[in-house]
Amino acid sequence: MSEFLSEIEACVPALRRYARALTRNADTADDLVQDCLERAIARRGLFRPQGPVRAWLFTILLNLYRNGLRAGRRRGQVVALDDVPSEPVTPAPQPGHMALAETARAIDALPLDQKEALLLIVLEGVSYAEAAGILGVPQGTLMSRLSRARAALRSAAGVPGEPYLRTVK
Amino acid sequence: MSAVGPISRETLLAYADGQLPQAEAETVAAYLAANPEAAAEVALWARQDDSIRTLFGPAGAEPVPPRLKPRRLAAEMESRNRGRWRWAAAAVVLLGIGLGAGWLTRPLLESRPATYDILIASAVNAHRVFAAENRHAVEVASNDRDHLVTWLSNRLETEVGTPDLSVEGFTLKGGRLLPADPQAGGRAAQLMYENAAGERVTVYITAALPDPEPAYEFASLDGAEAFYWANARITCTVVGTLPQERMQTVSRTVYRQLTGGSTGMEEYRGMS
Repeated sequence: MSEFLSEIEACVPALRRYARALTRNADTADDLVQDCLERAIARRGLFRPQGPVRAWLFTILLNLYRNGLRAGRRRGQVVALDDVPSEPVTPAPQPGHMALAETARAIDALPLDQKEALLLIVLEGVSYAEAAGILGVPQGTLMSRLSRARAALRSAAGVPGEPYLRTVK
Repeated sequence: MSAVGPISRETLLAYADGQLPQAEAETVAAYLAANPEAAAEVALWARQDDSIRTLFGPAGAEPVPPRLKPRRLAAEMESRNRGRWRWAAAAVVLLGIGLGAGWLTRPLLESRPATYDILIASAVNAHRVFAAENRHAVEVASNDRDHLVTWLSNRLETEVGTPDLSVEGFTLKGGRLLPADPQAGGRAAQLMYENAAGERVTVYITAALPDPEPAYEFASLDGAEAFYWANARITCTVVGTLPQERMQTVSRTVYRQLTGGSTGMEEYRGMS
């Protein structure tokens, strides 16, 4: 039990970081992480699958997040006035160079499946295999989501759409 | 560098994401040195990565608030559970004393305990009563399994399966219909399993609760181990006096079969 809690504890900073990036709100993110931890602790033993705790925690977190989104859609969402995105004041200085705020907006605009995948790989640095396991999709699906996410960020940065590699296989 | 052949976009992505084994990564690096266009693409991805890490990375370095400390959460949940188990223990006592005495003591209870506590207490109680029986341990024996399943499914108005616990060394002895909490449809099915050593495990199933939220509880109650869960179709409590670890294994098998879940990750994905 104590060892299990230590394993979970080691994952908390990463869970917070990931939740923050998904929700873009510190309180919502921590609530999500707390729900995730409580669920994990309640199910230790009986419902915990074999394998690394980290992947399991991320799966629980993502399920809670998606359920929350579904519930939120039914209720309608409350957005603080400060969180309402404003128009970018200055254009990006050069194509391909993204201002941070612009990147944040581009990521927010990504479809959820792409956003989940991109953040797992880039922010959490998990392997393709682990990310595919967490998201419950084949690795090929994961990679095509990543590729589309990259392309979307690229065009958001003002780089002409077509990546160079069409000819090379 | 001309020796390096064409490289797929997927490989480039994997390279940029640091997912390639070293030898392969070196090949890609050599290729990029000779192909500025591809190198520019990879560099663009790297800038995307930098932005993402700059934006969101710091959240992972912030001090963790106390409410997210697993040890504290576990302790809080433990004490909440203890409170609940006092209710469950009270419910067992009440069931034992009988309905009349239960009514008399009812004003002492400030509020109604959670339905699942009642169900767990009922399941433990039913286990205690019938696991001790020999000739009348079950109402319908396992040699009439089809009838047992149809009958219980009809009475509970939900599909009742009989999990196969042969892997755990247990065979189905039979089952019976029992009264249950009105919240759970008023009826419960008790399935009884027995192993070669004569040890018994019972599975107490009711129709789903009005609020069919998935829920999970497990607890030791007066020397018996009880594992409870609910989904949109049923509630199920596995009860036995085996050591906790063995009870967990048995319960996991029951759970897997009754939820129709496969193995591995899907199992808890559906449950979250």
